[in-house]
Amino acid sequence: MNDNIVFGQYIYKNSFIHKLDPRIKLFVLLILMIGTFLVPADNFILLSIALMIPLIAVIFSKISIFKYLKSLKQIVFVIFLSFIFQLFGNEGGKVYNIPINFSYANLILAVLLIVIFFLFRKYLPFKMLIFIGLVVLIIYLLRFPLIGDPFKETSIHIYEKGLIHGTFLIERILIIILASTTLTLTTKPTDLTNALEWYLAPLEKIKIKTSIFAMMISIALRFIPTLFNETNKILKAQASRGVDFNEGKFIEQIKQIVSLLVPMFVISIKRAEDLADAMEARCYVPGEKRTKLVKMKCKVTDYLVMLFILTLFILLILIRCGVIYAL
Amino acid sequence: MFVKLENINFKYANNEDLILNDLSFELPKGCMLAILGPNGSGKSTIAKLIMGLLKPTSGHIYIGDEELTEKSVNHLRKKLSIIFQNPDNQFVGVTVKDDIAFGLENLKVERSKMQEAVNQYAQMVDMSEYLDANPENLSGGQKQRVAIAGALAMQTDLIIFDEATSMLDPKGTKEIIEMIKTLKNSHQKTIITITHNLEEALFADKVMVLNQGKIVLEGTPREVLKEKTILEASGLKLIDGLFLIDRINNSALEESQKKVLTDKLWELTFKM
Ligand SMILES: Nc1ncnc2c1ncn2[C@@H]1O[C@H](COP(=O)(O)OP(=O)(O)O)[C@@H](O)[C@H]1O
Ligand SMILES: [Mg+2]
Repeated sequence: MNDNIVFGQYIYKNSFIHKLDPRIKLFVLLILMIGTFLVPADNFILLSIALMIPLIAVIFSKISIFKYLKSLKQIVFVIFLSFIFQLFGNEGGKVYNIPINFSYANLILAVLLIVIFFLFRKYLPFKMLIFIGLVVLIIYLLRFPLIGDPFKETSIHIYEKGLIHGTFLIERILIIILASTTLTLTTKPTDLTNALEWYLAPLEKIKIKTSIFAMMISIALRFIPTLFNETNKILKAQASRGVDFNEGKFIEQIKQIVSLLVPMFVISIKRAEDLADAMEARCYVPGEKRTKLVKMKCKVTDYLVMLFILTLFILLILIRCGVIYAL
Repeated sequence: MFVKLENINFKYANNEDLILNDLSFELPKGCMLAILGPNGSGKSTIAKLIMGLLKPTSGHIYIGDEELTEKSVNHLRKKLSIIFQNPDNQFVGVTVKDDIAFGLENLKVERSKMQEAVNQYAQMVDMSEYLDANPENLSGGQKQRVAIAGALAMQTDLIIFDEATSMLDPKGTKEIIEMIKTLKNSHQKTIITITHNLEEALFADKVMVLNQGKIVLEGTPREVLKEKTILEASGLKLIDGLFLIDRINNSALEESQKKVLTDKLWELTFKM
């Protein structure tokens, strides 16, 4: 039974990371985010210490590394682009020359490789990574004119500073992505909502009804899967009536999408009305104080984790302010 | 009297039609009332009026001895609960135990008592194994049972079932009807069950037939079931037993035989 998969990415495992209080996990994520931006530029030692934290969490979470790679996969392209920008956007330090010799044989090989990639794209795992690897390979091969003389010779200059900045940026992004993925993989969305509500609770004092927002989030979490199922049902019903969402002229496609959206809207509005009635009938008064079934409770481990993170953070600030010169 | 409606007229804001027309009835504490009527006759509207979810255009509603007004509604609602038709649209919690607790959380029940109540009522509706399940993995009948647990946990005096079985499969329907029967036999709640299925009205103390916003028939199930023409005119599907009774009455049998047969049939009908 997949009762433990609520919504989103949460994967149930009996691990130390799963059992941490969601408030602590949220706190660690926040500190890590601030911390990575406080690390002095190009200080790889400090940043690597920061990277250890999500890495340790990943290992302890008992969740397959592939789940993490999957979430990285979605932003590999963004990471790659920012790396390229950093690489060519910074001048200084040693210069590396990469000779580029355009010969016909090389160009044909490059086109061939890319065509092959696009032909087999469907069957490949980690497409983006492979594509990036391919581009690097093609550029590398341009060093050697394979057959015949090159018709144009040029070179790319890469500066040491660009390389360092680029790598530093990748590491920063990696830390944040790994940490937030660990949070969403190991924490139920409802627990996350509760933690968020807890942090926002002080705002209630200045008459901002944060509990209403928390209720809205939890209702959304409750109904997103239902909405998915409903969309599927409508899609199937329309497919059985011969509607094909991938075919036809543009106007036809628009019509078909409208034919999906209209029932979705009608159903959702009816649902919202029913839900409002059901909640009100069960004595829900928006903004009024409520008790909670689940209690979030910090255990010794939670406090230890918090203490550990805070210590590191304070050390970082001291280094940043120049009080400690060690690193 | 626990529930009392007095000369209720009702119109929706966006609809010119008079949905309820000078409707009055009352229901003593601990009694079970079945409201029958075709689709669109105003049954759900009555339920929402009693729950204070709608406000009558004119007329008065009393719960216990208190009039239901904008001021008293939040406090009177603690005595009332309702199970709606659509199992999905009334499942508020992300899991079964969250949903059972939802009303209790609103009533500001203490956590330890709440946990106890959740376990107790989940067990009562036979959903103890599913406390952490989310609604996507439950059948319609199971979701309705969770809704009932949530309502019972709030320990209200009145519980309304507004076509609570109409979206369920036969198995789910049977489970819910059994549950309503058990509830009735415990004599602890005032019950209103709304349905267009005559069989669900058989074990009520009192039956009321509604058509186009008016009460067209009122009485014990036996009295009401005899009014075949009115029932059919109100678009209700007669139950099989009634057809047989009709046949027997129109046959050439002797009066004494007719009586024995029809009495036996009535008895069987009500045993269902
Ligand atoms: N929100 C609404 N706005 C306008 N008209 C409504 C609304 N809800 C119901 N009605 C109308 O009121 C009448 C009675 O509805 P309802 O009480 O739901 O009937 P029943 O529950 O007996 O099927 C119907 O004719 C319906 O069209
Ligand atoms: Mg209705």
